[in-house]
Amino acid sequence: MRLSSLLDADSFRRHRLAYACAAGIVVLALIETANAWLAPLRAPTDRDWRALAAEVRAGFQPGDLIVAAPAWADPLLRMHLGDLIPIAVAGRLDAARFGRIWEISQRGARAGETAGGHIVQSSRHGALTLRRYERPAARVSFDFVAEWRRAAVSRVAADGQVSGCFRAPGSFECPELPARSLKPELLEIDTSPHLALTMLPTGQSTTVIEFDRVPLGRELAVGAGLHNVWLRKAGKGTVSLRVLVQSREFGRIEAGSMTGWTLRKFDTSTLAGQSASVRFEITVDDPNSRTLGFAAEARS
Amino acid sequence: MAELGQATRRRWGRPWMVPLVLALATSGWLLAVEGRQGLARDEAQYFRAGERYWGWFEALGDALRAGKPGQAFSRAVVDSFWGDNHEHPPLMKTLYGLSWRLFHRCDCTGPKRGLHPIAVHKHRTLPLFARESTAFRFPAILLAGLGVALVYGFARRWVGPWAAAGAAVLSVAQPHYFFHAQISCFDAPIAVMGLLVALAYWKSLRSPRWGVLCGVFYGLALATKHNAWLIPCFLLVHHLWMRRWDFLRLRPPRVPLAFVSMATLGPIVLFALWPWLWHAPLARTREWVQRHAQHEHYNFEYLGQNWNLPPPPAQTGRWLLRATFPFVSTAFTVPATTLALAAAGAVVLARRRRKNAASDEPPLVNPEPPEPGARASWLRPGADVDLAPGIFLAVQILGPLGTLALPSTPIFGGVKHFLTAMPFLAMVAGMGLAWVTRQAATLVRAARLRRALPAALAFVLCLPAVTETQRSHPDGVGHYNLLAGGFAGGASLGMNRQFWGYSVLPLLPWMNAHRPASNRIYWHDVLHDAVMMYVRDDRVPVGIGDVGVGEPMVAQSDLGVVILEKHFAVYEYLHWDAYQTTRPAQVYAHEGVPFAVVYQRAAPPPRQEPLPP
Repeated sequence: MRLSSLLDADSFRRHRLAYACAAGIVVLALIETANAWLAPLRAPTDRDWRALAAEVRAGFQPGDLIVAAPAWADPLLRMHLGDLIPIAVAGRLDAARFGRIWEISQRGARAGETAGGHIVQSSRHGALTLRRYERPAARVSFDFVAEWRRAAVSRVAADGQVSGCFRAPGSFECPELPARSLKPELLEIDTSPHLALTMLPTGQSTTVIEFDRVPLGRELAVGAGLHNVWLRKAGKGTVSLRVLVQSREFGRIEAGSMTGWTLRKFDTSTLAGQSASVRFEITVDDPNSRTLGFAAEARS
Repeated sequence: MAELGQATRRRWGRPWMVPLVLALATSGWLLAVEGRQGLARDEAQYFRAGERYWGWFEALGDALRAGKPGQAFSRAVVDSFWGDNHEHPPLMKTLYGLSWRLFHRCDCTGPKRGLHPIAVHKHRTLPLFARESTAFRFPAILLAGLGVALVYGFARRWVGPWAAAGAAVLSVAQPHYFFHAQISCFDAPIAVMGLLVALAYWKSLRSPRWGVLCGVFYGLALATKHNAWLIPCFLLVHHLWMRRWDFLRLRPPRVPLAFVSMATLGPIVLFALWPWLWHAPLARTREWVQRHAQHEHYNFEYLGQNWNLPPPPAQTGRWLLRATFPFVSTAFTVPATTLALAAAGAVVLARRRRKNAASDEPPLVNPEPPEPGARASWLRPGADVDLAPGIFLAVQILGPLGTLALPSTPIFGGVKHFLTAMPFLAMVAGMGLAWVTRQAATLVRAARLRRALPAALAFVLCLPAVTETQRSHPDGVGHYNLLAGGFAGGASLGMNRQFWGYSVLPLLPWMNAHRPASNRIYWHDVLHDAVMMYVRDDRVPVGIGDVGVGEPMVAQSDLGVVILEKHFAVYEYLHWDAYQTTRPAQVYAHEGVPFAVVYQRAAPPPRQEPLPP
């Protein structure tokens, strides 16, 4: 049977565009149907995850970071390797201190934490790709969250009157402002985990957190943001975190409902190798429903 | 043999046969799969309310038997039953309660007796369903079937039977619509009611009988969900367009019967069906309106951002981004082929009158031209004019989407907020299907092949939608189409994955097996009413623990669920802190995309309360 007996060639020549559109829709339907059948097969299986986890465990060293790309796969990553991801690592300030990073990737995604690294190990496990990156790690000379007990905390009222806060077993307590303690806590900031020093700022005074004799490196990394999605929705105020080194202001971070986790790196290279006082001053224009979390590291 | 073939053709030729088959097939499909669909947060409240509403009918029966029927109508009695969940009108909840009463398999007087919101006795029922939740869901599922039949009937006015059947299939074969069609909520039902009102309005343009019915149907729509408030606005836009020449000549026509009927019969039907209004109609109607006019903006993820407040116009970028929500969501959730067909159908509608002017083959089988010599009146307002189906369908589709494009409108329900547009979108897609079929028919010479084309193309062009819908189940609200890249693509784009805490269902067997000795379980967004229905459905044991809601409760639990929505991240971290691990014990994922996790405390504290038997 000849094709011309089935199809009207004249009609085809006269209405090429219309036929092309109609044929395009039919082709789209076939592609979409095939994709609907095949796409589920592209998803990583439990077997893929187990095989990959075994390889990570074999090569894992303390201080390594394991990340998922895309980030939405993180719960599955933690189900298989969560014992290698302690809370302090999951709630990190950033990834600068990690020199070895295991990236578990699917669908060609790349984790932002691996920027600047080079691949030293790579393997495929079904739909998952495992890559180990290495790069020079930042040397942390002082972790302000881990060393929170070394701080001196006080409140400075609008009239300049200073009242000190005392250190309790798990927090700093300020007698004139009960329930506004300062303590390290795992927080939700910008819907991500951050192990940070947390406090409820007060509108009538400045909260001062001062660390004496901090061994400084080339930079001072400070991250800050507001905790808890419900509080961010309920409040409107902006919290200001002022950073001073040796009584000189290096900069400030403004934390509002929409600012997320703000990470700033202040250049302290002129003070590298020296010990200096680092002071954080916290004020707020409207304290209602504001819980600030901040973390900082002095790094080389 | 030939007679048998003729008889079969005659049967299929009956106008009600195809819609009936479509309705039954749809309801059958939904019933076959609804058991894999977890109980949605709101749905669980409607179970409770539906059962309470049924309780009022029992109280009425008792009062009648006691010879004091007035007792059941006293404010105290009415409010004690109908006051539950009074922020939503009662029609569907009443049907859910009635269906439960009729069709559940009763083991109500055993250990589950205390789990009902009303006092229960041993029921005599027609036990059609193994699970009580299915009995509750049955009316919604039947209504979804009716919706498909209505789409067929409506589309049949403009296209042939295969294209109309295609439109009907495409109306339900949408992952998000399908998700809502099988649960006892109001979103698919109001889409069906909206369609019913629109169909009545359309027929009322040339038939006064339908003008009256339009008001009755509108009352039913009002009694289904508050989306109904907007229906007359969309219909009014069409009416103004259809009669635009009268307005331009400054001779406005009288208000059509359909609108008079909606304005009068609508509220009467609503009032009759809603006992909660009976004792304070104005004050409570005001309360109902205010509740939804000032609705809180719950959290919802869209393009990677968590939206829980209306963006102020001063934040121009965010404001504009938010305005794209219904259009981008439609583009990413409706199957791509359906969208392409709808685009083709829109072109057909746009070119409809021009094609008619040329003596080409008409694009629509029944363009419903003005009746010769007819004069328009308020009883038949469309008698003498073209009915403008293109504008009619455009308003029905763009009206709900446009409403949701206003940044001041909450978007927490995602596609469900403009689900009422989807049956009309499917009808336009049906027109596209008819156009593709006609193009193919003009190309094909072989008669047998040409005869087979409508059915073959309807099958091929509906197949992706059906396949995608089947693929998405039971997580239709987390599904995104070919353009977005499926489940994983949607997650990577930062599109909302779920809401209502329904996705815990696949984790229940593991949770039952690993129930802690302390019985302290944190259920997160799985409402207590939903947990109780899981018990009644024999999916979790009687006496399963529930430490309650709120962040402090996490620390008191030994087993905890977290539903993975962007704004719920804080609950994962509370578990990390309380259980001192970041490692979930179980994850439920669909195509590799996580939906829910369970955390288990490694060393539970000593048992503090005995497990119930």
